[in-house]
Amino acid sequence: MTMYKQSKWPLVVLAALALIWVLPIIGILFMSVRPESEITQGWWKLSPFTFTLEAWREVWLKYELLPAFLTSAILAISSTVLTVVFSASAAYAYEFLNFYGKRASLVLYVASYVMPQQVLLIPMLMLWRSIGLLDNPLSCIIPFVGSGFAWSIFMLKSYLRDFPRELLEAAKIDGAGNISTFRHIFLPNAGTPVAAVSILQFMWTWNSLLLPLMFLRKNVPLPVLLSRIQGTYEPNWDLKAVAVIITAFVPLLLFIYFQKHFSAGSTLGSGGKG
Amino acid sequence: MLKRKIDWDAYILIAPAFILFAGVMLYSAFFTLRLSFSSWKGLGPIKNVGLKNYITLFKDPNFLRSLRVTVLWSLCSTFFSVLFGWLIALLAGLNPNRSNIFRLAIFMAYGIPAAASGIMLLGIFQTDLGLLNGILDSIGLSQWTNPWLGDKRTAIWVLITCFVWIQTGLPLLTCYAAIRGIPVQLFEASYIDGAGPRDIFRFLMIPFSLPGVQVSIFINLLNSLKSFDIIYVMTGGGPLRSTETIGFFMYQETVSFFKLGYGSASVVVMTLFVCLLSIPVLKERSKAI
Repeated sequence: MTMYKQSKWPLVVLAALALIWVLPIIGILFMSVRPESEITQGWWKLSPFTFTLEAWREVWLKYELLPAFLTSAILAISSTVLTVVFSASAAYAYEFLNFYGKRASLVLYVASYVMPQQVLLIPMLMLWRSIGLLDNPLSCIIPFVGSGFAWSIFMLKSYLRDFPRELLEAAKIDGAGNISTFRHIFLPNAGTPVAAVSILQFMWTWNSLLLPLMFLRKNVPLPVLLSRIQGTYEPNWDLKAVAVIITAFVPLLLFIYFQKHFSAGSTLGSGGKG
Repeated sequence: MLKRKIDWDAYILIAPAFILFAGVMLYSAFFTLRLSFSSWKGLGPIKNVGLKNYITLFKDPNFLRSLRVTVLWSLCSTFFSVLFGWLIALLAGLNPNRSNIFRLAIFMAYGIPAAASGIMLLGIFQTDLGLLNGILDSIGLSQWTNPWLGDKRTAIWVLITCFVWIQTGLPLLTCYAAIRGIPVQLFEASYIDGAGPRDIFRFLMIPFSLPGVQVSIFINLLNSLKSFDIIYVMTGGGPLRSTETIGFFMYQETVSFFKLGYGSASVVVMTLFVCLLSIPVLKERSKAI
């Protein structure tokens, strides 16, 4: 299918670069299965090499890793579901319906995409403090969802240009209103764009550190737990390595599995990481 | 032409998103702006102090340093990550069929939570158990070993290197997608016209990859201006506040020193920075609306 001759040398260069790129990942994998005494000698030294899963057993007792994993899952799943449902309904209205203030509000969403997360810190902190929402998962879910709309609506709307309008017309002729058309015709048929938004939002919330660091004290998600472990100058690198792997594997698997959605998302300018 | 009728039920569909968005984003934007003209410490009534915070800000050596660090950090990390991503995409474009696994290996770093990748990268740059010092030791260059992250001169460069490691994936993705999007007929036409591999590279692949470069410059620049996580985990802004970008300075002033008005003023300056850089892209998007 490719029309030009494919030479070998680019592959060799690429392989060398890829090796450099995965070195830190290999390092953390090595550290997680070797005893502490060998790590301090250098995780890259191959002899002596003792394979042990001690750290994998011990880490659950030493750190609050399991509760943090659950917190991460709760935050990421609920923010993703809310973002997807509300931005799909909004994007549907923006693309197919006609109402006052349509253009102005859309411009507002798009412009707020550039607003850094740091803007939210003080106002939200003060608000949660005064209504007693600090330490509640909602204190993170609400800003995650509210700021997610800055890109999700625009991204969904751009996908919708290719949506088969005949389906919507047919529903209308059958006498369905806009809202029931959205629920029964549109949502079940918008798989790809909805999946793309879900994955981006899920990864962004799973990975984010700044907001939970500010708003949660007791039940913290994985990135906050990691930064705390790092902040105490934890000397046990084997345990730290396991914690890193547990934090990274969920988003990494999703990321690898859904690579294609990222190319779509990134060309629309929404590949942002806080 | 007949004016389309208004769909009133559209408001039901947009309401949840708009209420949440306004409650979080617009409220925060206005409140931050309001606080930036005050000397609020979090308690009692908010007292106006006019432009005092901004004037203090531009006399504060810590803030001026964070401005310089931000410019260095953003320009260098964006330049190198986009350059590497672009070159790697071109290389992969020369041999697309078997480059998948290598592209994925480089792209992967972009999907790892920054808090996690920060600790992974310590495995390379740590003074006592990092790979870099280990290699220097083993090839007899022990005098070059250095506490890379504890040294004021090198810490920011190590951080930039780490951020390039993370961010190269995105330009690689966008440029590669652009190269793979070249229509096959163009290749056929060039062969018929007698173009060799070099010409194809020069006159097809390079120009077609440029839109990918453009998009990724914008995204990476925004990411670098807003970045916080990797700095927080790897150096905590140190040593001696030498790796604080504006995004981090703001956190320091509000969380460690609880100067809410002052911190807000620095966020406003940061946001202005970001907005200035984003004008071209925002214009383009508004057209799409």
